[in-house]
Amino acid sequence: MESTLDSLALGFSVALRPDVLLYAFIGCIVGTLVGVLPGIGPLAGISILLPITFGLDATKAIVMLAGIYYGSQYGGSTTSILMRIPGEASSVMTCIDGYAMAQKGRAGAALCIAAVGSFIAGTFGVIVLTVVAPPLASFALRFGPPEYVGLLVLGLIFLAYMSSTSLVRTLLMAAVGLLLGCIGIDVMSGHFRYSFDIKELGDGIGIVPVAVGLFGLGEILSTPSKSMTAKVIRPRLAELLPNRTEWRQAAMPIARGSVLGFLVGIVPGSAHIISSFLSYALEKRISRTPEEFGKGAVAGVAGPESANNSASTGAFVPMLALGLPTGPVTAVLMAALLIHGVPPGPQLVNEHPQVFWGFIASMYVGNLMLLALNLPLVGLFVSVLRIPYAYLYPLIIMFCIIGVYEVSHSVVDVWIMLIMGGVGYLLRKFDFDPAPLVLGLVIAPTFELSLRQSLVMSGGDWTIFFSRPIAATLFAICGVLLALSALSFLTRKDWRGKLAEVEEVGEKR
Amino acid sequence: MTMTLRRDHVAGGGFIVGGALILAVSGDLPFGTLASPGAGMLPKLVIGLMMAFGLIVLLRAGDSPPFAAVAWGDLPHGARVIALAAAAVALYVPLGFVATMSLLLFGLIYGVERKPLLNSALFSVGVTGLAYLLFNTLLKSPLPRGLWF
Repeated sequence: MESTLDSLALGFSVALRPDVLLYAFIGCIVGTLVGVLPGIGPLAGISILLPITFGLDATKAIVMLAGIYYGSQYGGSTTSILMRIPGEASSVMTCIDGYAMAQKGRAGAALCIAAVGSFIAGTFGVIVLTVVAPPLASFALRFGPPEYVGLLVLGLIFLAYMSSTSLVRTLLMAAVGLLLGCIGIDVMSGHFRYSFDIKELGDGIGIVPVAVGLFGLGEILSTPSKSMTAKVIRPRLAELLPNRTEWRQAAMPIARGSVLGFLVGIVPGSAHIISSFLSYALEKRISRTPEEFGKGAVAGVAGPESANNSASTGAFVPMLALGLPTGPVTAVLMAALLIHGVPPGPQLVNEHPQVFWGFIASMYVGNLMLLALNLPLVGLFVSVLRIPYAYLYPLIIMFCIIGVYEVSHSVVDVWIMLIMGGVGYLLRKFDFDPAPLVLGLVIAPTFELSLRQSLVMSGGDWTIFFSRPIAATLFAICGVLLALSALSFLTRKDWRGKLAEVEEVGEKR
Repeated sequence: MTMTLRRDHVAGGGFIVGGALILAVSGDLPFGTLASPGAGMLPKLVIGLMMAFGLIVLLRAGDSPPFAAVAWGDLPHGARVIALAAAAVALYVPLGFVATMSLLLFGLIYGVERKPLLNSALFSVGVTGLAYLLFNTLLKSPLPRGLWF
């Protein structure tokens, strides 16, 4: 524990440097804007702004990009409460009771509860991350190629199990991502795969063009500007503070949301989205007045908002400690670290302590900044919503093109982004979630290398995956999850259906 | 009895046909053996999985809505946006950042969104100029100069 505190002190010495503070501040502001603006999520925001970090060192880059991620969780609640439009997917549940509170004249109180809940949950998440990540990284040093195969397969199956769409559709998307990840030169044999004499494809398909195309451009293509008009309820700043009853009603949901969110966050999947759904369902289930939900229940704002912030911090645990992305956002953050020559994973804490601890310490500071920013500047953020979407989305397309081109100054990357935009549009039409595709693309090189190394070192004996204790345990968990999915398929009843019911009830109200 | 074409019939069928096509162009990639896996092992395994999952989606298509019920009302708007963006990508390097982006923004705001001519032109040129200043001058991140800049 003492060494953790010493390391954290080192982290604060990095995070409190004026230049690092400035980039944390920029990240928080941009993140809040990304969260506020419908049609642009944290993934597109981070991907588009990734090239801006190329001139920075790894610490400043990751501090700014992570600020965008957790800042967007704060910002997402603003449009949910004031417009009933989730600025970010994880804020869907906040729309229900947040907007109902706003209609009752309690918009300020709802925004304050969301901000304070986010702050408490975010800080709780960072504290647990501080304690959990280093020992987990030490444990992961025992991992060899078979364990990595087990871990990555478990990550994909967990993602599929936790996904809001079906297991088969998620795994199908992950398979497409893995296939895209196979494009380029095979590092073990030098074969060119699916490059069709396009030399730029020799290095493979980048994560940024795919992510920006699927989530940035794809979202714009399926959002006609005429559908983006909504009435904004302007909060009265004098009424920002909740009353004593509202604080009392918010306290326990914030605590429960913080714990639940963190636990869900460390599991691969769209954790911040799922955690807010689970928190809403939990609060409604244990409430003495469940009939209030949908009509402006404080717990319906406090719980989900705390849960999604805690989950976004929890998602950093496997990324930092194991080098395992739990979703597309952490996948792009991992790519950012790799671009800066810092491989995430068990070695990170020992080989780059300034980056690791500086990043963790910056999250304490960032959460404080967001609390200080979000309440006084809520009027400013709301005024951003007045920019007509017809002017806003061309701007986003311009930034998508700049962002993708600047990664490697390749027009081929921009064409890939454009194609992926069309693919993203079609995937939405056919009810496929594109997130597992990005995850598959990110893990493909590590997965293939580990798989082939495992087979070579065992002389072609595939039982190597089941004869080593850690790998066997990981595959056993995969088996249990697949069995549970098969069971829910046969009985046609699983947690997704229950969540959909909760959402449906909320929507009707 | 007539069978209704459903959304997942098209989706599942698409993945199966797509997988078969990719498999057809994967012929030169060696699969190798378990003891010495080749460059084609993972791609071919993954294509197999993709086709298998596609088949499951197709077989369970009865639960999905009819294909005719999928809303395509946003397609014309999306097609216009993607066509203009594609033209901008094609012109990005030859024409340069300032000219291409000004034209792209103007095309989208005036051409697609039918906003007033002067507003569209001023917004397009102004915002492009600011973006050029931000990236090229302040962030020292070189943008294509093209013919004029």
